[in-house]
Amino acid sequence: MARAATTSDVFNAIAEHQRREILVLLRAGEGSVTELAQELGMTQPGASKHLRVLREVGLVRDRKLGKQRLYGLDACGLRPVHEWTGGFERFWNESFDRLDEYVQDLEQQGRRSS
Amino acid sequence: MSATGRGAPAQSPAADREIVISRVISAPRELVFEAFTEVRHLSQWWGPEGFTTTTRAFEFQVGGTWDFVMHGPDGTDYQEWISWTEIAPPERIALVHGESCGDPNAFESVLTFAPDGAKTRIEMRTVFPTKELRDEAVEKYHAIEGGQQTLSNLDAYVTEIDRNGGED
Repeated sequence: MARAATTSDVFNAIAEHQRREILVLLRAGEGSVTELAQELGMTQPGASKHLRVLREVGLVRDRKLGKQRLYGLDACGLRPVHEWTGGFERFWNESFDRLDEYVQDLEQQGRRSS
Repeated sequence: MSATGRGAPAQSPAADREIVISRVISAPRELVFEAFTEVRHLSQWWGPEGFTTTTRAFEFQVGGTWDFVMHGPDGTDYQEWISWTEIAPPERIALVHGESCGDPNAFESVLTFAPDGAKTRIEMRTVFPTKELRDEAVEKYHAIEGGQQTLSNLDAYVTEIDRNGGED
């Protein structure tokens, strides 16, 4: 399957460890940029940048509460990861790994016997 | 993805109930195709590492079936039933895949084999009758691979937050 551009690819988004840490923090509940930046020991612009990537791939959503913006987990965005880690897709990717090896063996044998 | 031509659908209408898997195999197309046509080949590679199959019946032709049991590495058996709906060597195979003949949850897969230099690109497009059945199949295959511990922590983690996040 053609993967989307990196900015909209959930796999790319969670490849970055600080973004994964943000997701783990948000499991406990919503948080503001200031809170998240503080928890993770990063600058506010840094945290904002990560949150923007996470929001773009649908892993995080935000809402306004008074003057502040709160970020929360939108785990539906993890569905592609969930499917990749064990679903139908992985079953077939692993079968195709074996097919790949098997047909290469067949080809070797064919060359040897002809 | 770019437009494939005038008159082609802009987006597959089945997008939310299909799964497309694409893969390059390092062998010529005829050989890769052949690996799908006989039990002695299929039994060598069907399923992830550690899976084996026992075939009850196999007839590779349109309308013919492959009736078999798939054995998981943890000892669990899965009834499988496949019927071919189109065979066009060496480029295309369409089949219906279910647990038994007449399975209402059976789904259709179309495999296409395209040359990619000396290699072969396989595309497997599977369309489920409904989005719910697609999701169910994903879960079922999760269960099938339950015996495999690779990435299981991440898996449990995403399953949990997927469930929590999916309720609202």
